[in-house]
Amino acid sequence: MIPYLKMDEFGRPLKESQVKRMEENVALAEEVMRGIDAEALRIKEVGIPVEKVHERGEMTVWERIEYLADPGTFCPLHTIFDPEHEESGSTGVVDGLARISGRWCMLIGFNNKWIAGAWIAGQAENNLRVTDIAKIMNLPLVWLVNCSGVKLPEQEKVYANRRGQGTCFFRHAELEKLGIPVLAGIYGTNPAGGGYQGISPTILLAHKNCNIAVGGGGIVGGMSPKGSFDEEGAEDLIEATRHFKSVPPGSVKIHYDETGFFRAVFDEETQVLDALKEYMAGLPAYDPRFFRLARPAEPKYSPSELPYLVSMNPKAGYDFDNVLARLVDSSEHLEFRPGYGPEIYTGLVMIDGFLMGVIGNRQGLLPNYPEYTDEYIGVGGKLYRQGLIKMNEFVTQCGRDRIPIIWFQDTSGIDVGDTAEKAELLGLGQSLIYSIEQTNLPMMLVVLRKGTAAAHYVMGGPTANNNTAFTLGTPATEIYVMHGETAAAASYSRRLVKEKDAGRPLGPVIEKMNEMVEHYHTTSRPVFCAKTGMVDEIVRFEEIRRYLVAFTNGVYQNPRSICPRHHLMLPRLIRFQVVKGLDRPGKEE
Amino acid sequence: MSVEILAPMPGNIVEILVKAGDAVSENDEVIILEAMKMENPIFAPCDGTVKEIKVKEKDSVEADQVLMILE
Repeated sequence: MIPYLKMDEFGRPLKESQVKRMEENVALAEEVMRGIDAEALRIKEVGIPVEKVHERGEMTVWERIEYLADPGTFCPLHTIFDPEHEESGSTGVVDGLARISGRWCMLIGFNNKWIAGAWIAGQAENNLRVTDIAKIMNLPLVWLVNCSGVKLPEQEKVYANRRGQGTCFFRHAELEKLGIPVLAGIYGTNPAGGGYQGISPTILLAHKNCNIAVGGGGIVGGMSPKGSFDEEGAEDLIEATRHFKSVPPGSVKIHYDETGFFRAVFDEETQVLDALKEYMAGLPAYDPRFFRLARPAEPKYSPSELPYLVSMNPKAGYDFDNVLARLVDSSEHLEFRPGYGPEIYTGLVMIDGFLMGVIGNRQGLLPNYPEYTDEYIGVGGKLYRQGLIKMNEFVTQCGRDRIPIIWFQDTSGIDVGDTAEKAELLGLGQSLIYSIEQTNLPMMLVVLRKGTAAAHYVMGGPTANNNTAFTLGTPATEIYVMHGETAAAASYSRRLVKEKDAGRPLGPVIEKMNEMVEHYHTTSRPVFCAKTGMVDEIVRFEEIRRYLVAFTNGVYQNPRSICPRHHLMLPRLIRFQVVKGLDRPGKEE
Repeated sequence: MSVEILAPMPGNIVEILVKAGDAVSENDEVIILEAMKMENPIFAPCDGTVKEIKVKEKDSVEADQVLMILE
């Protein structure tokens, strides 16, 4: 073990009194998750029954994923994502991080229970997020293609546009340009858009009954020279349809026997998946020991205790260090600049034996802080000058050392007012964005509780499109530009004064204010955040570690750049801080 | 030796988590103080026993007001 990589233990056991006090909190969190689970189940049951899928000799997309992924490794994302309020309440694809034959990937498949896997509203955004994750994490993309093309009654919602369904094909080509393969298992009838879903990946493995084509057989008979339909036209169409024996174009006979687009063809659905497993096993991946700095170890304190620590009451404080100790190997860390910028935690941890950077908001009162004012005292969750400078510094050093970063947000925003402006907080917030952008590091974000105002942007928010691969939320997550009461006060305070001065009743204005408070509440809850994509998935607190392990293994599988462990600077910078609470001493240790 | 636990800032007492006679350890949460729109835990500065609680729930307190005495 390199001496400066030896980590410090942190965290404390739960007290019995705390467990008792937080039981109601645990129940509240679970109630939220039951709502999320119920919606996920409703989406699974939409469309044709599972029995009918099986009658056709097919598997559902969930069954295909379960067969394909190494057991227990699938980390779903976008489970209830539905940004365009589609009829099904979903985007029609199922995706997540998965390990297949020991190799991590982004895995995505069409839901063949719903309109035979059609392109539906909101799906393009889902697909582009998946290609983004693959690109940021440098992971292969595995597609389970089963796509009937455009949902014709709503083509204007899916077909065209800069970020429409066709954009995905350019993203596939972009991934390939970057040396990232796209593997496809192809099932069912895939015309037009489905055809391009089938042809755009790198390796095409086909089920015997599948086809991929520029156009579908059903389009051939649909032309009407009158520009509209009438009874006569309808009768002609009926006659043509009765006699029309359509074999969808682009079958195995064409694309295996003739064009050779399909690498292989299989009789059974599971054989396609077995072939994907074989291809995945042959993809390049560093043996974990190349990058691991320690043996993997579970946290000393169990992640199952997390719901007893993080309050569902957004006003209640908690100890962030105690939370983090339940997410990282051996409950050990190397904290960077302890005592400076106390509202922010920055430090190095191990996740599954790999070195990762962590940044998070601390909670609680901060007496004699910030240093630029004595008009008020600091409170955890807010960002002040030192915290912003510390984050800038830590991010920059992580960039130099090629250490991926995990962000934890529970923030009420950046300090405001002329005092804060004189302290340069506006510029320091954007500086943090600049620092993140300079790193080209893969990052992920957990919105542990609050994500508010500009702080939600600058602290590795989803807006960091080139770096933050995905965002998790929890049952306690709430995301909004400001608290609803603050917004209502800002929006209606002058009107209240006007009404009061005019001697008119305040009731109607108060009613509007309360409507706004309620609106902010409704549009910031975890379900809303997941439905609209403000987060990519809501997970139970105790599930966070599983995603951290998946993310960490994924980004160390084929990193685009390497810093040898004996060239790391951050651990050395930290280990020079002999005594906690001091800035760097004047001489070397 | 008695140790006084003081309010770090003005606020309202939301919850008192211990009672007279309880043994506490350093960094145990003993009181929840609402201030700056947040419910902030006040911690025991050392190991000890709760000798006297000087406030009750819903009380408004000033900065440096004695909340609790440990011995």
